[in-house]
Amino acid sequence: MTESLKLTIDEKRDGLAVIHTEGYINNQGGEEIARVAYQLIDKGQTQLLLNLAGTKIVNSIGISILIEIIEKMLEIEGKLAFCSLTPTIEKTFHIMGLAQYAGIYPDEASAIEALEAS
Amino acid sequence: MPEPPSPETWQTLFSLDKRPADDRQVLTRQLGLWCAHRGIAGAAVYATVDSGPELQTVKPASVPGFDRIASVGEPPGDDDGWPERIDEGGAAVAPSAAERFELPGILLLHTPPTRAVDAGDADLLLLLAGARLSALKQQIQEQSFQAKFRGVELEALYDVGLAIASTLDLEELCEEALLRAVSLLDARRGALYLFDGARYVLTSRFGGEAVAEVPGTAVDSEEVSTGAVRTVRDWLPGARHVLSVPVEIEGNPRGLLMVADKESRRGVGPFPSTDRRTLSLFANQAAIALENAKLHKLALEKERLEREMELAAEIQMQLLPKAMPEIPGFEVVGWNRPARQVGGDYYDLPGLGSGRWGLVVGDVTGKGLPAALLVSTLHSALRLLLDRMEVGPGLIERLNRHIFESSSANKFITLLLATVDTQDGHLAYLNAGHNPGLVVRADGTTVQLDSAGLPLGLLPDRQYRADDLDLEVGDLVCLYSDGITECESPEEEEYGMERLVDLLREHRNEPLAHIIQTIDKATIDFACELPQGDDQTVVLLRRTA
Repeated sequence: MTESLKLTIDEKRDGLAVIHTEGYINNQGGEEIARVAYQLIDKGQTQLLLNLAGTKIVNSIGISILIEIIEKMLEIEGKLAFCSLTPTIEKTFHIMGLAQYAGIYPDEASAIEALEAS
Repeated sequence: MPEPPSPETWQTLFSLDKRPADDRQVLTRQLGLWCAHRGIAGAAVYATVDSGPELQTVKPASVPGFDRIASVGEPPGDDDGWPERIDEGGAAVAPSAAERFELPGILLLHTPPTRAVDAGDADLLLLLAGARLSALKQQIQEQSFQAKFRGVELEALYDVGLAIASTLDLEELCEEALLRAVSLLDARRGALYLFDGARYVLTSRFGGEAVAEVPGTAVDSEEVSTGAVRTVRDWLPGARHVLSVPVEIEGNPRGLLMVADKESRRGVGPFPSTDRRTLSLFANQAAIALENAKLHKLALEKERLEREMELAAEIQMQLLPKAMPEIPGFEVVGWNRPARQVGGDYYDLPGLGSGRWGLVVGDVTGKGLPAALLVSTLHSALRLLLDRMEVGPGLIERLNRHIFESSSANKFITLLLATVDTQDGHLAYLNAGHNPGLVVRADGTTVQLDSAGLPLGLLPDRQYRADDLDLEVGDLVCLYSDGITECESPEEEEYGMERLVDLLREHRNEPLAHIIQTIDKATIDFACELPQGDDQTVVLLRRTA
């Protein structure tokens, strides 16, 4: 038995959706995020915010899937942002270069404000 | 000039792409074929993830971030390898390939003196670069990803180290170490067990169930220390591949850190041997945390006990007389020094009404907090009984029953209770197992106030006897605890009652406070200032009129 990632989706308005994660972003978790993200993109959402408040750890497979989502967002000229990261995950995202292509914000409100202003 | 490659040769070059071989090997073979076909002595391809420096001034081997990804033949240039400048040594470059295909890389050619680099070389290079671009880029990205992830690993170890230095919460630190290990090793789940001397107890787990504890007897310690516990898969029910390492303190296994089921995009599999080292690094961190937490817990416990003792000492000080009573026709002084902050000695000088006063010296077995608690019981009970009963055997027998009922089996109290009547100088006393009190008469003769019964609290129904004598002007009464007479010299000789009697005789006419000081100094000198393990108490009473 493993503790799988739980996702809740909050479609704020046309073009912007927030995905809340709860659990480990690993291979399974990453693929679940990707599945949901691609569904949202197919529906026309061009701005995605991943709220990781409920996630304590992420592994390299999870990161590589997140990079793929970022690349997908760049392809469609959309934007992906992260918020509410633990200090460890935030540091990991900086080292792994995710922060170059995706905004990182302390909380959901500031992330949405930044996405709306862009 | 050699002919352009034939269609068959192209076929060979591109068909290599489809083979499931390492990209570098494929490229090396392609370069080899190409060099043979074009009459080139050697070639090498360099690539970098970041944007390349000025190609004209590059010495590739010395540029950080450049990685020679494929080469064949002899390197061009001087003795130490590659040329200072690209145009030295008959080398050709393909900067346009880098621009067109966003491949920040260069290709060096080593042409023999008889052959110059020509446009055909550059065209072929472009084709080659284009054909290999996608695979190369992916490979480079993968390498870069892994390199960056090593950075994450180092940061994680550093962070856990910092966490250990800044917090002493063992559970928090163990969880931190476990979570970092699980994520960095791409494990699906993991657990940390600590050995409490009898059992391996689950301290932290992540990603799945783990058994709460495993008896130490069920585990071979040799297997723990080598990280090869055969039953470890049973500890994480459902796990398919488990990697475990010992948490060791000074070479002794104190636990097991384990991760299970290494993830890849294809599913889960076993851990490569290199992961054992990484996991051990986190286990070491957990071991340090464990040791720190243990020391911290001990320090906290010590601090707590000290605080309790201070409080107990304060309470006990309240039990002793705050000032010496004014007794008409007598002078009296009491003195007490506990061996620890709180002790088992007790004295009291209660007024009993009708010109009568009490002199009490007691000694509870043991020292420290337990003894002090019993002293407190003695004080309350005695004060209550003195309020309600006449001093006599009946009072002591009631007190004995009370102490017996309110103390544990191995606790008892020796007590000497005397009363003095200021009207006539009559002294009555009851001695329950206490050191004999001393009366030094004005003429220097002595009388002992001997014990006539067992200490209080030993047996519930004992009878006690009261004795008495009359005090004359100048007579000195000394009640004391065994901390005085059993004070030991370095040779383990006891100070003894005879020395005390001699001292009292010699100084019997001096002020009482001075006699106390003399007793104190004499015992300290006798013990050569060695610390003594017992409380010391002295009560002196002298009839003056």
